[in-house]
Amino acid sequence: MKTNDVILQTVTKFTLFVIILFSIHLFFAGHYYPGGGFIGGLMTSGAIVLLLLAFDIKTVKMILPFDYIKVVAVGLLIAIGTGAGALFFNMPFLTHAYTYVYLPLLGKTSLHTAVLFDTGVFLVVIGVTMTIIQTIGESE
Amino acid sequence: MAFQILLNFILAFVWMFLKTSYSPASFFVGYFFGLLIIYIFRRFFTSRFYLLRVVAVVNLIYIFSKELLLSNIAVLKAVLRPKLNIKPGIFAFPTELKEDWEITMLANLITLTPGTLVVDVSPDNRILYVHAMDISDADEAIQSIKNTFEKAIMEVSR
Repeated sequence: MKTNDVILQTVTKFTLFVIILFSIHLFFAGHYYPGGGFIGGLMTSGAIVLLLLAFDIKTVKMILPFDYIKVVAVGLLIAIGTGAGALFFNMPFLTHAYTYVYLPLLGKTSLHTAVLFDTGVFLVVIGVTMTIIQTIGESE
Repeated sequence: MAFQILLNFILAFVWMFLKTSYSPASFFVGYFFGLLIIYIFRRFFTSRFYLLRVVAVVNLIYIFSKELLLSNIAVLKAVLRPKLNIKPGIFAFPTELKEDWEITMLANLITLTPGTLVVDVSPDNRILYVHAMDISDADEAIQSIKNTFEKAIMEVSR
């Protein structure tokens, strides 16, 4: 039986963006508050799963034409890159550095290389979750 | 397009509530992240990504100001010339634009072009009657209007 998902789809169209914004908030909260790359990535993939529930797999592939295995690869490269970057400054592997910068609009901001590492974690979590779900979803 | 802008504003406010900081800076940060999300999900919407249209509007304003300057210089040259060797006339300009505001915009822009002036619009909104200061190169004038103004307006409304 074909059901009409108009209510689910309409609510998804708005809720999706709020969920992703919340996951970005969690991602950047990671240094001082609960949150971080893992939960942020998991919540972003949760939003994409909501999109998968409301629409079908083909539509979602059309909206987000990413190869999620490549997303995992890019995330791992970013994580290894930030770790290996320390070696160029005669520091042990995975040594992180931070500095305070005065940005326009934002004021005094601390830039920490751990955020880059977290970005890698974020991408790997999204990639792995979406690969698992799409692989299960596609098999008949 | 209006939906995307509204969504972006709502996302910026949601970000302010999440951060519990109500400064303009956090609004802009939220607006930026909202813009990023909307860009990633741009295929989700029926209309195209709205920032492209904003760029098109800015481009139209740039063309408008440039032509305004050039037309005044051209008229100044014609006025200061001792011998008046111009050949005025009226030609028909077939337009592809449909909406009322698009035709109004095109007519106003043509009026500000060097040496051309819209006299009348046909009842079915398909043809603009343009008075030219120098009719000898009417075809060239039609082509240049088509390539600049009509294209720029279409870029906005597409």
